[in-house]
Amino acid sequence: MTKANPQPVAQRVEPQGPDGGYGWVMVGAMFFSYMLVFGVIRSLGVFFVAFVEYFEESAQAISWISSIGLAAVQFFSPLGTALCNAYGARPVVMAGGCLTGLGLILASQAKCLIHLYLTMGVITGMGWALVFTPMMATVMRCFTHRRSLAVSLGSTGSGIACFISTPLFQLLLDTYSWRGSLLILGGLSLNLVACGALIRPQGGSKTKTIQESKSSCSAFLWKVYSYLELSLLFERPFVTYCVAVTLLNTGYFIPYIHLVAHARQVGLSEYQAAFVISATGVTDIVGRVLSGWSADLGRVRLIHWHTLWTSLTGVVIVMLPVATLGGSYAGLVVFSLAYGFCAAALSPIIITVVPQIIGMDRMVGGLGLLMIIESIGALLGAPLSGFLKDYTGSYLTSFVLAGSFLLLGALVITTLPHFFSRTDPPPPRKCSTDGKKEAESAESGLMDNPAPNPDKLYPLETISYSETLPSCAETLPDQNHSLCS
Amino acid sequence: MLASWTRLPFQVILLLLSSTGINTKEAPETPGSPVVPGEPVRRSVVLKGKSHVEYVEVLKPVTYELQCTWTGTESKLPNITGFWKRNEGEIENSHVAVPLENNQYNLKREFSIVGDETLGNYSCVFDGVAKIDFIFAVPQMGEVHDKPIVSYVGDSVVLACKMEDTKPTPVTWHWYKPNGTDKALINSSLEHRYKITNDQKKTKLVVLGVEQSDSGMYYCGAVYEVGTSVSHTELRVISFMEPLKPFIAIVIEVIILVVLILLYEKSSKITPGDTDDGTNTEQTNQLTQGENSETSIRQRKV
Repeated sequence: MTKANPQPVAQRVEPQGPDGGYGWVMVGAMFFSYMLVFGVIRSLGVFFVAFVEYFEESAQAISWISSIGLAAVQFFSPLGTALCNAYGARPVVMAGGCLTGLGLILASQAKCLIHLYLTMGVITGMGWALVFTPMMATVMRCFTHRRSLAVSLGSTGSGIACFISTPLFQLLLDTYSWRGSLLILGGLSLNLVACGALIRPQGGSKTKTIQESKSSCSAFLWKVYSYLELSLLFERPFVTYCVAVTLLNTGYFIPYIHLVAHARQVGLSEYQAAFVISATGVTDIVGRVLSGWSADLGRVRLIHWHTLWTSLTGVVIVMLPVATLGGSYAGLVVFSLAYGFCAAALSPIIITVVPQIIGMDRMVGGLGLLMIIESIGALLGAPLSGFLKDYTGSYLTSFVLAGSFLLLGALVITTLPHFFSRTDPPPPRKCSTDGKKEAESAESGLMDNPAPNPDKLYPLETISYSETLPSCAETLPDQNHSLCS
Repeated sequence: MLASWTRLPFQVILLLLSSTGINTKEAPETPGSPVVPGEPVRRSVVLKGKSHVEYVEVLKPVTYELQCTWTGTESKLPNITGFWKRNEGEIENSHVAVPLENNQYNLKREFSIVGDETLGNYSCVFDGVAKIDFIFAVPQMGEVHDKPIVSYVGDSVVLACKMEDTKPTPVTWHWYKPNGTDKALINSSLEHRYKITNDQKKTKLVVLGVEQSDSGMYYCGAVYEVGTSVSHTELRVISFMEPLKPFIAIVIEVIILVVLILLYEKSSKITPGDTDDGTNTEQTNQLTQGENSETSIRQRKV
């Protein structure tokens, strides 16, 4: 008797992705789109020398192109997620693909460096932002039990791009010079539109939340507030998490940037250092997939995995300069591989923890906000370590500082509510009881007790973290159903 | 000539300068001489095997005295013949009888290196079997662009040449453009399409408004007093149609993919009204769920 009932109730209480079927197509789309996005980002390194020669500018001026591009991706992420909330993921990703392609095609016609800053930096960066986070959010919506594995499999696209992109782009550069290569890369980036087309259209997610309001201006502002999920900024768990991830980010990228320089300084050859970097590409993929798979086993809470990997990465980074102190090549190899593994293991977990803290219905906007806030850490980290290197003469202090930032981030994570409980707490819900439909109340009226699985079902009255808003995104279960099956 | 004591500090400086590039096998070097081939520079090589090659970098006109010493074979004949070769051709009247002194054979000869024609390979040959080559050359440029530089019609292109930091600075640089099968010197003051920028050990040639006819091999020459060392770069000019073809192919592929995906979706639609107005979808779905639960309620009641 009770068999038919728990399912509809469960679907309405916690939006569950179907965990399979079309969801894996989504993972494939995420894989290809990440390959295209990160592949082109890495191509900027290959084009570097060609740009320096052609535009006769300094290396610093040229490296601003990639800095602007990366900053644009993170800065425009909330825009991407807000548009995703408003119009659904499909049009946003397709538009992002068009924008990226357009930026690169325009860049092929650049006559001066400023053109490149605007086209390859701003326009393409904005396009990437419209692809990156919505794609991730879509995959997360399609999975519940296999979420971490799906996200990690999808993001391995960036690791594969690392291998393919450099020889491919060198070939393009030799055949067509940088103008033709940028044109062709623009065409390749248009494939992002095809990746976006694979996303099934969903019903307007937040359009229902906008109620009749007094004037169009305040309705618009309310729309913006809601789409950007700015209400999250007033909640302690989210803010804590953002602070932790920002601290994490400050130290996270420093080895990527300074590893080669440090290795050279300690006395190792260029080829040795470069080989180690490419070897970390392999541990990157392995670490990512392993971490995603083991996180989904459910034995350890995601948040505990997060703390574990963060602390491990921090320790490894601190040990790195110590290991290479004597110019030891073996030490460099071991610790770089360990760093590649731990850092890659950490990255899918950072993302998949988010819906556990803020709930699935606000996940999309939350991801966008997280991206832009954590970018502060990334922006500060590299110049800070560079400054320390200039001040002390070696990279030792900057690596130690990077590791300590990571350990500090892990500490901050422990201040999240319910950190020390063994099972996951109920996810926060924005809905209050008055937002329900008749069907739900009929169901709950009939049943005395929810199904006996405390991990999966939660009492409908639970409003854990947030205040109630006058509307409720109860359409989410249906979205997931149409998105991923 | 001038008294040697005035030339002593000069010689010391030249000794310091010349000792950086030269690599002799064993014998120490005597100080280098200034411009006028007055006092010759001695280069000695001791050969233990069958052959040896010695590279000598020459910047200015110098007279060299080459000393070849050979230890001989097991059968140390008291007298063998030796002669000198230049660029694989025997130098006339250079055959001499070489006696065995201190268990060694010695050959010595002076050569004046004054210009491009005098550079090359000078060899001393012992008994027709043992050979020491002295290769006199201006400092050569190490890195050569073996890959052609690609440029587009109407665009500008930068060709660059660099002499290594360890090698001496050339007096000036010359650029040569392809002219049929030969090369012609570029005079940037006459042809405003070309801009040459020389900066010590680096040089840059900028060609503006590149045309198809500009394709070919460009030579940059590092000019020293005694000769020019030449390196080449190939320039390939292509029209913009070339990358456009793969680009259009890719765009067509994307369009086909997107159309296929959308068509597949439309044809295999199970749930109705997916792509239509979102609110209708919501309501329809809610209603269907409501109906389902209602029917199930009814069923349970029954």
